[in-house]
Amino acid sequence: MKIFLLSIVSVLMLMTSAYAEGHGAADPLTTHQEEDYVSKGMGEMIGNFLASTGIVALVSPDENELSAHGEPMSDFHKGLGRVIMILITFLLFWLAIKKGFEPLLLLPIGFGGLLANIPIAGISGPDGFLGVLYEAGLANQLFPILIFMGVGAMTDFGPLLANPKTALLGGAAQFGIFGTLVGAVALSEYTTLFDFTLKQASAISIIGGADGPTSIFIASALAPELLGAIAVASYSYMAMVPIIQPPIMKALTTDEERKIKMTTLRPVSRLEKLVFPIMVLTLAILVLPEATPLIGAFMFGNFLKVSGVVDRLSDTMENALINIITIFLGLAVGSKLSADQFLVADTLAILALGIIAFSAGTAAGVIMAKIMNKFPGTKINPLIGSAGVSAVPMAARVSNKVGMEYDRSNILLMHAMGPNVAGVIGSAVAAGVLLSIFN
Amino acid sequence: METNLVIEGFKFLILGMGTVLIFLVVLILLMNLQRKIIERFFPEPQGISEAPGATPGTQAKDTKKIVAAISAAIMHHNKA
Repeated sequence: MKIFLLSIVSVLMLMTSAYAEGHGAADPLTTHQEEDYVSKGMGEMIGNFLASTGIVALVSPDENELSAHGEPMSDFHKGLGRVIMILITFLLFWLAIKKGFEPLLLLPIGFGGLLANIPIAGISGPDGFLGVLYEAGLANQLFPILIFMGVGAMTDFGPLLANPKTALLGGAAQFGIFGTLVGAVALSEYTTLFDFTLKQASAISIIGGADGPTSIFIASALAPELLGAIAVASYSYMAMVPIIQPPIMKALTTDEERKIKMTTLRPVSRLEKLVFPIMVLTLAILVLPEATPLIGAFMFGNFLKVSGVVDRLSDTMENALINIITIFLGLAVGSKLSADQFLVADTLAILALGIIAFSAGTAAGVIMAKIMNKFPGTKINPLIGSAGVSAVPMAARVSNKVGMEYDRSNILLMHAMGPNVAGVIGSAVAAGVLLSIFN
Repeated sequence: METNLVIEGFKFLILGMGTVLIFLVVLILLMNLQRKIIERFFPEPQGISEAPGATPGTQAKDTKKIVAAISAAIMHHNKA
């Protein structure tokens, strides 16, 4: 009996080993055969080559082709949609080069979009270089945080420290975010115009913060499927600040208010500037830890700059590092401009909601300045209220420009920088609140 | 269960704006406090400008030139 069992076991072992050997031997053989070049006729080669061209891929798309997310796409998104998207990226190039709209970001985003819409190559797929960049720095929110570091190294909090109460304007302008959030969910609930979830509505309305990195940070955390449209809307509107804001500012102010002169800012000591980043970060740690990735990076950059002892590092952050990250960030955002993700009805809704958010933020900042003027104390020119939406330093320049239209000697630029940098802190706090609600 | 998104949205609005404004109001108070403390206990030595990285000597000379250039520009600007 024992011998019988043993023999069965040994036979089994022999068989498995033989099978394994045979299998192991067969494997390289088959792959070798696959790798073997099979000679084809010239006609067949030309035919195969023609079938692999972009023209054929665009005109009669491969039925089995999947999107970058591995989902099936409609024929429209594989063919004509891609052509339309490529034309849209040309429009972005035109806006960036001819109109000077945020070229630093729109060109990388536009070119990324162009590359993402190439059939067959799969550049924005998981193995394409845009897909790899996306996974490396956008899906995990690394790039926006690094950008914030560079922005911190470029920011001067002096004007804010010299006139702290202007920080309220930067806070009021965040109404653009939350007001639009209510509007977006109300329209989703009561109309059939669009149907956004709370997360999506939050990600869209953060455009009202007028802060590109923050928008991308929130969008990739809450609604990655809308990232492309949100980023494009955010950066396009930031570029259009000089067009969007002045009519709103003029409509909400009287001639008299626009001519208010503000007293010269006091000089701010270096120690104050040095303590400030630590103070803001401490406050954020105590109140809103969710906002500390953004605020922490921002204040790190700023702290190195004002410390004055590591110029090498702060120089790198505000030049080389932020430039490199801008290239990566732009391309990675561009990878989300593929036809199957961008050419959807939601994109139009996002563009519309974005501009509403932007305008509401501008208006809220101006109105806040008017409210503050009702209280005793030094008067504020309401034109600097619009700078409370971040968009540093563009929004502050707009305040200055509109102010000078009414009084050429009224220089508001430095006064407007206060609410401007407070707006950056404000939108980072708003982002932290949104994240804390959903986590 | 159907949640009313609009009411949720208003909750977000109140919580969000409240947090942002309170954060900034506290920050304003801290900034004012910090100014008082620093001006009282750590006053800046007079005559040294604060731009880090530049040596004071060349800075003073440069500042005069810059002031001259700026005032000329303002004069020109106001005439135009």
